[in-house]
Amino acid sequence: MSALSEHVLDEIRELPAKYPQHRSAVMPALDLAQEELGYLTPEAMSEVASALQLDPGYVEGVATFYTLFHLEPVGKHRFYMCTNLSCTLRGANEMVDHLKAAIGVHEAEQVSKDGLFSYEEVECLGACEYAPVARLDHRYQTDLTPQKIDALVAERRNPKPEPPHPAAKAAALPAKRGGKRKKSG
Amino acid sequence: VAEQRGTVGGPVLTEWFKTKDLHKLDVYESLGGYAGARKVFKEMTATQVIDEVKGSGLRGRGGADFPTATKWSFVPKDHPGPKYIVVNADESEPGSAKDRYLMENSPHMLVEGAMIASFAIGGHQAWIYIRGEYDRPYEMLRDAIAEAHAKGYLGDHPFGTDYPMDVRLYRGHGAYICGEETALLESLEGKRAQPRSRPPFPAVKGAWGMPTAVNNVETLSTVPWIIRHGGAEYAKRGSEKAKGTRMVTVSGDVQKPGNFEIEIGVTYRHVIEELAGGPFPGRTIKVFWPGGSSAKVLPGSMLDTSTDLDGLKALGTMGGSGGIIVMDDSHCIVKAAARLLRFYAFESCGKCTPCRVGGNWAVRTYERILAGEGSRIELGILERVSDGLQNGRCLCGLGDAAGWVIESTMRHFHNEYEEHTLHNFCSAEAALVHA
Repeated sequence: MSALSEHVLDEIRELPAKYPQHRSAVMPALDLAQEELGYLTPEAMSEVASALQLDPGYVEGVATFYTLFHLEPVGKHRFYMCTNLSCTLRGANEMVDHLKAAIGVHEAEQVSKDGLFSYEEVECLGACEYAPVARLDHRYQTDLTPQKIDALVAERRNPKPEPPHPAAKAAALPAKRGGKRKKSG
Repeated sequence: VAEQRGTVGGPVLTEWFKTKDLHKLDVYESLGGYAGARKVFKEMTATQVIDEVKGSGLRGRGGADFPTATKWSFVPKDHPGPKYIVVNADESEPGSAKDRYLMENSPHMLVEGAMIASFAIGGHQAWIYIRGEYDRPYEMLRDAIAEAHAKGYLGDHPFGTDYPMDVRLYRGHGAYICGEETALLESLEGKRAQPRSRPPFPAVKGAWGMPTAVNNVETLSTVPWIIRHGGAEYAKRGSEKAKGTRMVTVSGDVQKPGNFEIEIGVTYRHVIEELAGGPFPGRTIKVFWPGGSSAKVLPGSMLDTSTDLDGLKALGTMGGSGGIIVMDDSHCIVKAAARLLRFYAFESCGKCTPCRVGGNWAVRTYERILAGEGSRIELGILERVSDGLQNGRCLCGLGDAAGWVIESTMRHFHNEYEEHTLHNFCSAEAALVHA
């Protein structure tokens, strides 16, 4: 019984053709593995290695270098809380404290009892004009406040039925503020 | 006090940003988009493209400030195999968000710029290396590239020519060091992102061992405008030596943080007070980082400094990636420096000893100071570690930047360091308590 399903392994085997050299496929392949399992187990990394004909130690070396690869279980919804300088100046540490209480964890990497949440403190997310900022479920959450964090957590604890056109609402960055800032010097 | 400029020409990068749905190809094209690439592919030679950009005076906006046309001209013309443009969209410098802003608003502008740059070096494939956290810009670029393919602007016959062209995306996975061009190339090749020793330079041996020019998002986004309007028109903007406009991100303790396009040469006072709304009522600006956290700090008394890149170099700092971080008198410089050192220590790739060891040494020293356990010894350690990190002792600039944070904050705020270290007293916090 392999850790990764056959169709994921097939997809991984097709990746090298997209790049000038097959090694470049290692990160997209680890992405697919992580997407399926939630995090990268030693077995999964080793299966990625054999699918790409790479050394398992090499694949693990890549996986451990980059922060977006997880080697331990994570919550279904993971908060990447920026605490670099621009966000800290605008209350990022208070937001982290509030989040910990809201999802019921004591520290980064700990998964909430219901398996829904975990968080980590990350370095600059490149959205400093919206500080404090977090990345959650592939979208940026901007101008965080304790109320906003509570709402994000509540929405995920009690999800509403899918809206008809989720793509239309995909923009996470508030259009109104963005628009106001498009003036140039 | 620098001469106030900023009125000579209009915006370049953000010229069309008020237009709805600018991210769609037909909207972008209706305003004049892809006219530059069309002209280049149909009417110009590679040498003419390089000359036009040389005439603009455009210099790299990723932080290194290197002349763009010169970089392109380093790529050998007679190389028989593939040559690549690699776009550095790994924006991770603390305080910098402008590349995200450009990609989200006008992804086609970057695609077009990457096409023109590829033509200029005689390449047929451009790779955009975009940081993994940038989900939305990634999706917008992916869609823009698909649109350009559907329209035939990318593919075997762009604009009806026989010059095949493709633009591809590669996602990063969380590592500040990938902003360094050789580390980025390692990462693009599927390796741990550790900087290479140079020579060979990427122009000779870059991505997958082939000649490569690595350009920043903003740099390439500027190129279509230069082709449309001419290099001379671009060069009318800006200061004497540093031509044109640039993006800045203003963040931290200001009322209206944001991304702004400025004409190079306006003062920081103009940017921070006029554009970004200035400090909050009752507060004064204590310090600012003029170009990302890696640029040496300037005290609030130097707000009239010009954004002119050469002027900043003369002051020992830099315009860097344009990330202006503002901090007011309610915040503590020692804590801010400690936070940034944690960042540099964490992001050190571990290849060079001074950076790998020095960063963590500094972090532990700051921790002792902030825990009230400091003495003259700690101040001495910080000075020595700062020196050890700098002056080309490492393969890339990460170690230098860590050293600059320590050195420049200690130089301008020595009193605060002494108060914290010797008396466990924080004047910023004390002022808040008594306010």
